[in-house]
Amino acid sequence: MKNESNEKPVLVIPCSGIGKVHGLISREATYLVTDELAPGRTDTLCLALLVKGDAEAVAAVRDHACLTIDGCPKACAQKNVEMAGGRAAQAIQVAEAFKKHRGAKPGNATSLTDDGWAIAREVAAAVAGEAARLHGSEEATS
Amino acid sequence: MSAETTKVGIISCSGEAIPEGTISRLATRRVLELLRPDATVTLCLPLFLAGNEAERNFAKTHPTVTIDGCDKQCARWGTEQHSGPVSATLVVSDLLGTVASGCRRSSRGTAQTVEKEAVWAVAERIASEVDRALADTAPRGAEGAVTSAAQCACSSPVPGGNLTIRGSTVSIPGLPLIFEQCAARSIPADESGAAAVLDAVKIYHCIVQEEEPEYQIALLAAYQDFMRNKP
Repeated sequence: MKNESNEKPVLVIPCSGIGKVHGLISREATYLVTDELAPGRTDTLCLALLVKGDAEAVAAVRDHACLTIDGCPKACAQKNVEMAGGRAAQAIQVAEAFKKHRGAKPGNATSLTDDGWAIAREVAAAVAGEAARLHGSEEATS
Repeated sequence: MSAETTKVGIISCSGEAIPEGTISRLATRRVLELLRPDATVTLCLPLFLAGNEAERNFAKTHPTVTIDGCDKQCARWGTEQHSGPVSATLVVSDLLGTVASGCRRSSRGTAQTVEKEAVWAVAERIASEVDRALADTAPRGAEGAVTSAAQCACSSPVPGGNLTIRGSTVSIPGLPLIFEQCAARSIPADESGAAAVLDAVKIYHCIVQEEEPEYQIALLAAYQDFMRNKP
């Protein structure tokens, strides 16, 4: 028997950071997940809608499993999801991923280099894995 | 607000779910890096909720232009609600109509012509609003007071490029980006492309006519270096 929650995509919510490369990596990692690695199983929404308090967006984060990807320790995505009444099943920080890539030149806030895309793909793989785990655990309890 | 601190804040919606959000974001970056690098700053919109008092006061300390992807106008609403009134608002879907439907959200792969044109069109509108906001705010003669490079309120200045003109070092903000644009237009890195490179730089930077020959030589040499080191 299929649980209704299995059909709900996991929401992957990036931070919207516009001043540093970290924000772009979080955004592109999100698209890698929703477009390539786990289409159908995941979706995204505009973080700014949560800032605005949009009723539909608030309901969505309360009703779906959420994974947040933040560029910096200010953790805007995670905090805004929590302020809206949702919960981030996993809160990833791009800055942490950089620790495994010391000396990398990832690009800038406008475009990514090969190093930047490699980090984005690594973050995306972790997020897709977690999304699969969330679906799996929901299936196991259905 | 003193003339020394007058910079226009640009707040972009960055809407992750729609192509118009990507256009907003890229157009904002283009204004920060190329079109008005000395006169603009930005801030991540969600920081109004997640940030501290200084970040929430952003629109109180800067004349601010908001750029939204859709008619929900999150950037305008968020800025006005949490920070203060804005000088101007732009909505990409109003500016571009259905053009954005042919654009992608991600920047993976090579940008399509329609995407490049959309970003340029929106960036130029933002730049116009920045000029209008500055004209409304800054006292006459204050232009020279705005000297530092384009930056996010939370980040480092955008890298530029230096040229040596008549024995002095001249900094050109966003020069690598201009060169990228030249390369995308297949402008050759030799004498035959020198005038086109100069013309591209002149779009963004004032170069007096009598210095153009020296700029042309220096820019061609810098463009050749750029092309040699291009991955």
